[in-house]
Amino acid sequence: MKARAVKHVDPSAPLADGLQRIIRVRLDELHSFLPDALEPTGSQAMHDMRIAAKRLRYLLELSAFCFGQYARTAAKRMKELQDLLGEVHDCDVMLPLVLGEVAELRALDAAAVVGAAAGAQDVGPAMVRAAPHASTYRGLELYAAYLQARRALLFARFASTWHDLARRGFRGGLEHALAERPGPASSALHSASANGVGAGDASEQVVAPAGV
Amino acid sequence: MAKASHIRGLQATDPLRLAAARVLEVRIKELFAQARGVLDINDIERVHDMRVASRRLRSVLEIFAPCFPAVEHRAALRDVKSLADALGERRDPDVQIAGLRTFKGAVGRSDQPGVEHLIERFRAQQRAGNARLETVLAETQASDLRGRLEALVEAARAESARREGQATA
Repeated sequence: MKARAVKHVDPSAPLADGLQRIIRVRLDELHSFLPDALEPTGSQAMHDMRIAAKRLRYLLELSAFCFGQYARTAAKRMKELQDLLGEVHDCDVMLPLVLGEVAELRALDAAAVVGAAAGAQDVGPAMVRAAPHASTYRGLELYAAYLQARRALLFARFASTWHDLARRGFRGGLEHALAERPGPASSALHSASANGVGAGDASEQVVAPAGV
Repeated sequence: MAKASHIRGLQATDPLRLAAARVLEVRIKELFAQARGVLDINDIERVHDMRVASRRLRSVLEIFAPCFPAVEHRAALRDVKSLADALGERRDPDVQIAGLRTFKGAVGRSDQPGVEHLIERFRAQQRAGNARLETVLAETQASDLRGRLEALVEAARAESARREGQATA
């Protein structure tokens, strides 16, 4: 999914101003995949939303020291969303692959049984013993059932997570943090974080409307 | 998973271009620090760490795109994407195999041949992914991707200094 272009980013402008502009575009991008991503059949929208969440997450991790605690929390929420959508996507990719494998084996077995029945008027049930992959189907079908079940559960978790974010005012909270950012901040003030520039903002004065 | 390095000394008021140079410099070091042993299919965490580092580097190149010389930036980003894709081609079967092994351990004996069949399929993909990664790593070295990325850092720094000089003159 190609990222939306961010216009009018001035490389000479302050870091926080530039990042603020980019975050706003990425936040819009994230929401642009709704409501399609909240449909169980919306695989492509979910996949695109995952990429949008990843872009927003990296940005927030990088810029949290400019925008305070709410931005840091938002980065964590984006990671959770990205991970969840990634798991759904893995199921979406794997399930057709497993079913394709079953179809391929079935075709091979049918050909082998036909070969074993050469010269016969019909295929008798006993001839199925010539199927070379008879013991393979069961595990594959069971794995497909597992993937289908897991996908259903993960999708429900994603939908619930998103509704919870929306209910807590995620978008408004982040926009508020961007607009009302603390005074000049420095990454030197912060201790190392797991993924971004810094953590432990000494000048976090942003009061987000809800505790996402 | 390797953690991203802390980037010290950034100020919210720094010019975007100067900050871009600093962040990119750190992410370049992280990527190339992860290259050792990445082709070892018995240690799947190495390729994972390098993949994560490549994503972070790619992200920085995309976020700060306007801060770098356009032509050189475009070529470097293309090659970082290619490296990230190759790392993904190797990583994906690693993950599938690990998941299938866990699944195999949880099901009955009569279900295991089918799971093992799938594992074999992914082992073949893993070998193909490793061969592709080896090629891309060689191309990365031959095209001096690291040097070209470092040149982007220097170009951004020089341009930032030039503009600052203009502003104070």
